[in-house]
Amino acid sequence: MSSLTTTPDEIAQSAAPTTRPADGTGSLRLTFGRVIHSEWIKLRTRRSTFYTLAGLLVTLVGFGLIAAATATGQVEADLGGPNSGASDPVSTVLTGADLAVLVSAVFGVLVGAWEYSSGLIRTTLAAVPKRLPVLWAKSLTFAATVFPVVLVGALTVFFAGTSLLSGAGVESASWSDPGVARAVVGTAFYLVGIGLIGLALGVIFRSIAGAIGTLVGGLLFLPTLASVLLPESWDSVLKYLPSNAGLAIRSVTEDPSLLSPAVGMAVFVGWVVLALVGAAVLLKRRDA
Amino acid sequence: MIEVQQLTKRYGDVVAVDHIDFTVRPGIVTGYLGPNGAGKSTTMRMILGLDRPTSGRALVDGRSYVTSTAPIAEIGALLDAKAVDKRRSARNHLLALGATVGIGGSRVDELLEVVGLTHVANKPAGSFSLGMGQRLGIASALLADPSVVMLDEPVNGLDPDGILWIRGLLKGLADEGRTVFVSSHLMSEMELTAEHLIVVGRGRLIADLSMRDFIAQASTNRVRVVSPMALDLMDQLAAPGVTITSDQPGELEVEGLTSADIGRAAAAARITLHELTTVDASLEDAFMELTRDEVEYHGSTETARHDERKAA
Repeated sequence: MSSLTTTPDEIAQSAAPTTRPADGTGSLRLTFGRVIHSEWIKLRTRRSTFYTLAGLLVTLVGFGLIAAATATGQVEADLGGPNSGASDPVSTVLTGADLAVLVSAVFGVLVGAWEYSSGLIRTTLAAVPKRLPVLWAKSLTFAATVFPVVLVGALTVFFAGTSLLSGAGVESASWSDPGVARAVVGTAFYLVGIGLIGLALGVIFRSIAGAIGTLVGGLLFLPTLASVLLPESWDSVLKYLPSNAGLAIRSVTEDPSLLSPAVGMAVFVGWVVLALVGAAVLLKRRDA
Repeated sequence: MIEVQQLTKRYGDVVAVDHIDFTVRPGIVTGYLGPNGAGKSTTMRMILGLDRPTSGRALVDGRSYVTSTAPIAEIGALLDAKAVDKRRSARNHLLALGATVGIGGSRVDELLEVVGLTHVANKPAGSFSLGMGQRLGIASALLADPSVVMLDEPVNGLDPDGILWIRGLLKGLADEGRTVFVSSHLMSEMELTAEHLIVVGRGRLIADLSMRDFIAQASTNRVRVVSPMALDLMDQLAAPGVTITSDQPGELEVEGLTSADIGRAAAAARITLHELTTVDASLEDAFMELTRDEVEYHGSTETARHDERKAA
């Protein structure tokens, strides 16, 4: 450490600025706004944040445009995937959400759990010993970062995709059609909501792998598996799963196997709140 | 000031910290000493509110740390220098931490200068050597100019230069009137820095005394004497309060007399001496002795605790 030429006295002097008032804290004060600022710095100083946001945009817009082009018959493709047989034009152009939701979910898990893998969470919680402001600040900065991006993505792919469809003379949709605006904005809302559930699971599991496993299993495999394995009488239960409640928000057509958009919204918000409250309880109670 | 009162932490059947009481006073460096696994880090985590005590409490400047209005300005702590986001730069790491109490870039840059990391401020913290990581940890501890500085094994893995630097830093902080609480498992690290010692072993408080008292206790005043007339000398020296042992013929270890006393007695009796040396036990030895006792007497303290519980 040849860089170190300061003497102890110099160090001591510069470590103690003369502006320090007698009470030891001065103008330094912990506020919720400052915790949000701190979490915002953490979020924007991770390069993966930008890659993830770009990934969200690309999957949402890219796959929507591919689906739209396929629907016009100009492109021959077998897309596979859960929504490839979309029956209405809005679902077709928003089909990228089914992949983007995984990106958002993983991003949420990372934001919730990454400090646990390094142990940084102890520094964070020592700086905010009441703890819960950290969870709320992480959730807010996450939502405030992801929502504008996925909203722009959903709007872009809706207008670009529908113009592609109408240009080819295929059945298309217009923004003023009933339920369309709700489905487009609902898609953005859904992506943020699943990300927040991921964030909560990241805090609950304190491990990236465990949280991602649970989220992907519960989000993708459980609903699919359950609808295949369980008798039809269970459909009334399955529509309350987060993924199916989310589908109710972002669908234009009324599907009898889904909740109504309003109820779907309420149920979906309920899941997000439940996950965050669970994370809050554990964060507060457990040793860090 | 840190006050720890009957602080206890139990993990299942394991008692990590066992009814510990101590006070860490401002203005001096207090060493928190004990073998690995003695409960030092657990105590520090409880002081910071990271671990919830099973019973008892820890107060910082008279209050529970959790209620602090400007936490990092109250205690600046370094628990684990490796607990950083490896891809975030040192500067951004400090910015995020400081932001919680409204500290901005200029103070962060000032601290980077203090710990000598200015030239790597924008490098990812994961690329730092152990010593640089330790310096970044110190910078985060001092960031908000705290009245209490608490460092867990700060010199672990540092080069001699870094150790010297930390010693000077800690003394400087204490001289400014701050409370400085530093843990270590090596006596040699505390010897030149700490004015007060709190020693723990197996989660229990073993000693709470000033360094001066500890040194006084450690000096046993044993004197080694080599003489061809050792047996005659033994007769001359024998007195109440004097212990004489002999491992080899012609060699004596005398306790209870100074070397001057022995020299005078030998001269008076015309006894030839070949060697006359005061033997001080090293502080390390004295520390080992203290903590070894704790292990040995563990069984009997179990019963003591049992009685305590009955009494309570």
